[in-house]
Order: sequence, then C-alpha cells, then structure tokens
Amino acid sequence: MKSLVKKLANTNIGIFFRNSLKFKPVHLKHFTKNYPISVSDAFLWRTDNGYKTKFKYSDILALFYKIKNSWVEFHFYSKNNDLIKIEKIKNLDLSNELEITSKYLNNLEDYGTFYIYHYSEKTDQLNNQDIISNRCYLGYSQNNNLYSFVHGNTLGRFTNIFSKENISTDIVKTSFFQNHTYTIQKYFNNFDENELFFVNPTSKTIKFNIENEYFKLGPHCSILHKVKSPMISIKSNCLFLRPTIFSYKGKYLDVHHS
Amino acid sequence: MNFFYGVNNNLLKSEIQIPIFQNRNLRKSNYKLFKTYPENKKWILKEITSKKINDYFYILQNDDISNNEIFFLAEENIVSIFDENKLKKFNNFTDTSPAYRANFKIYLDQGGFSSYQSDYPYSMVTKKGSILSSISSIANAEADKNFVLIKNIFEDPIEENFRAYLVNYKNKCIEDQFEIKTNYTNCIEINNKLIKPEIFLVTDKYVGVPMYVSKKNNFLSFEHTHPPHEYILSDNKFVKISNLKKEINEIIS
Repeated sequence: MKSLVKKLANTNIGIFFRNSLKFKPVHLKHFTKNYPISVSDAFLWRTDNGYKTKFKYSDILALFYKIKNSWVEFHFYSKNNDLIKIEKIKNLDLSNELEITSKYLNNLEDYGTFYIYHYSEKTDQLNNQDIISNRCYLGYSQNNNLYSFVHGNTLGRFTNIFSKENISTDIVKTSFFQNHTYTIQKYFNNFDENELFFVNPTSKTIKFNIENEYFKLGPHCSILHKVKSPMISIKSNCLFLRPTIFSYKGKYLDVHHS
Repeated sequence: MNFFYGVNNNLLKSEIQIPIFQNRNLRKSNYKLFKTYPENKKWILKEITSKKINDYFYILQNDDISNNEIFFLAEENIVSIFDENKLKKFNNFTDTSPAYRANFKIYLDQGGFSSYQSDYPYSMVTKKGSILSSISSIANAEADKNFVLIKNIFEDPIEENFRAYLVNYKNKCIEDQFEIKTNYTNCIEINNKLIKPEIFLVTDKYVGVPMYVSKKNNFLSFEHTHPPHEYILSDNKFVKISNLKKEINEIIS
C-alpha cells in the first residue's frame, strides 16, 4: 500500500497535486525513456536594441563518449513560440560557436528562444539510459561591445539522440495555484535599468506576478520585462521560473542568471 | 551550507551582495555574516558587523574583501562551536533549491562591470581532486585580456601550492602552467593564442571554481564554468568523467 502511494505521488498527476498543495513539491522531474536523451536548456537569443548573441557549445558526444561524426540541430523560436528556423551543423569541433545576428534570423530584430539537440547514428556507443545536457554559454553584445557571457539556466526540451522521436518537454513542473514564490538574491540598486527575461519551459500556460503586475505566458513563450524595485519576488504556478537578468549602468551591461 | 568569496588584486575589484533570506522564503532571519581565513595553520573567525544594508542583504565592498577570506552565514553561537582546525558544516540555512547564492560582481574604475550568482558549497570543501574546464567554451579570443580566477576552499587552514595547467587535448601536451594555492582566489592570465577548442584547464591536486574574465575597452565579462558532471545527467556520469580526467591526468603526470 505504501509503495503504491509512493508510485502515485511520483506520477505527473501526483506531482501536480503535490505542487498545488505545496506538499513535498517537485521543481524538476527527470525522465526515463527507452532511448538515449539529449536535453537542451531554453536559451535566449536577442537581436533587438543593437544586440547580437553568441552561443558556445561543446561536442559532448565526442568528448565523453568518443563518438565521431555526431551533429547538432538548432531550433529557433520567436517570443510567441513560432518556429523561425532549424539549422543542422556537422563537422563539430570539441568546442564550437554560433553568432546569432538579425541577419542570421532573416533580419528579425527581436528576442526569443532556441534549443540545441545532439544527434548520432552510432547506436553501439550509447545505451538507453544515457542522458546528456548541453548547458552551454551565451554571450550578449550590445552595439558591438564585448560579449557578456552567462550559462544556460532552465532545462527546456529533450529528444532522442538517434533522431527517431519528437521533441518532448515538461521537465520543469507546475502547480494549479500561483503559490510558489522565488526571490532573486540580488539587490537591484544603483543601476540605470534592469530587465528580466522569462521563458516558459513548459507546455502549459504559466502565470506570474512581479511588482504587483500580472503576466500570463503561453507554452514555451518568452518575455522581457523591466523592473524598478531593488528586490524582486516572482509568484508563480511554475516551480522553476528563474529569469536571466540584464543590468545596465551608463554604457555598460551585465548579464547573468538569477 | 555555502561559502561566499570575492577577489581583490591590482587588475580587478569586486563587490559581494550576500542575502540573508532563502530564495523561496523571503523572511527576515537572525543569521549574521562571518568571515574566516587561514593564518598560522588556524582558521581565524571574525564577525562582519557594519556591512548589513537592510534586513535582507550584507554588501561587501572591495576594501572589505581579501583573496584568502571566505564568508558565511551563521547564528551567534558559532563563536563557541567554531573549530579553528577544520571548516565544518555549521548550519543548513543556505541549503536551498535553487541554490543559495550571492551576487559576486567584478568591476573596473573606468565603469565596466560584470557579475554572476556565486556560491562554494560545503560538499566541495572536503574534497581533493582536479578541475577540468574547456578554455574556449567561455574565454573570448577577441578580448584584449582573458583571465581565469580559480577559487579553492579546503577544510584545513592550509595555504599549499598546487598547479594549474593548460593542456592541449589533441596534441597531448602541456601548453602552459601556473602555481596557485589553496584557500585563495587565484588569478591567472590566459594567452589569447591558447583560446582554442582543444585547450583545457586542469589542476593536479585540489578542486575549485574556475571563473572566466574577459576585458576589452573597459567592458568586462565574468562567468563560472560548469563542472563536467553537468553535461551528463545519467547515472554513468562519474564513470564518463573519470575516464576523461584519467586521459588528461596522463598528460600532466
């Protein structure tokens, strides 16, 4: 009986109830599938306001699994989660980079998200329990100044390394109520401006409050929002909603995860 | 339990904002800020008394920070339980999910600044081992200068030298090496010519947090690198990482 309750408590429905009642909440749930998995963070690209974005990533399959000739795919989405483009990159080095400018994104000056998936056909060097995750590094440059780097922040989507499955999501869990609060451990004082970039890492609509303002964010959509208070609390029905922070002073910029 | 730290040298200044609240529970607490540093093979403990700016934050300015000091939150009784011979886990106030972090900012007098949310978990303090970090993953060959800060905190109050290497994984050779020390925020400069995919930073005896700094026209970039086990989420991660480390350790041995 006890083990049955434990099993039920760890199903998606069970976790949803636990999170809604704040009883042993589950923020992130790892997944077991019958295939090797490549997980991607939900990464932010920016080409608005003179921004360009640089993405640095490792060939994890070569480095840790000695698999040659693997490739990656980038999937770019608008802030409203519309697919913009997919790019496949072969001939990987141990460390690689991609520059994302407005020209690269069909002259789009905006912001949105992208994901990276590693693929291989070498089925003998991977087993069904293998899970890799490229957390990577993102650089943001405004007006061609030095890129300010930050690492990936939120596990977003995953797929089969053998390229035989659809993209899955919902590693980050949600609650029925907007009853989970996260306060950023930074004092936002002495800056000219602070922007928070939020991405919804789930397939559900999420709701959140900051500085008494209410937001609703569709599945996998993203939003940039300016904040004014020195302390920022986010009340949400998403259990892992950590924005990327852009702080400005004079002509200088600082980007980091929260 | 997490420790916090900064850097203070002739290249970089720093500021640390240490929160006194848990990120999922914004409540005032009675925790106070202490610092400790090794001296004559003993940990010296001091309370930080005048840097609390409000109920929620301590802010340490550059003059309050030394490379051999570490900061932590504790209750007043720490004075009676503190062990001058070994760092202990004094409390679990900073054991949170997401991790409890301080904002560690570096800056230049000319205006450039960059920060990240930093911590040094107690679980790392008790361990020896090695760092493995890809240089080109985060260093910037287009910058004027690139540095790596390597923070080590070890439980014993020792200031022992050990080595950091820049290893060429493809050619199986050492490209450069540096002497660094325990319980210190070390700073080494990386030659831009070595910012290549095959170059890795490794250490020989102690673990630590590698943080990369790039500087150009008074702009700064500052970020730590992921430990290798962040790249593999499956149970075999330690085997995979250990195999890679073995390969690289053969180059430096």
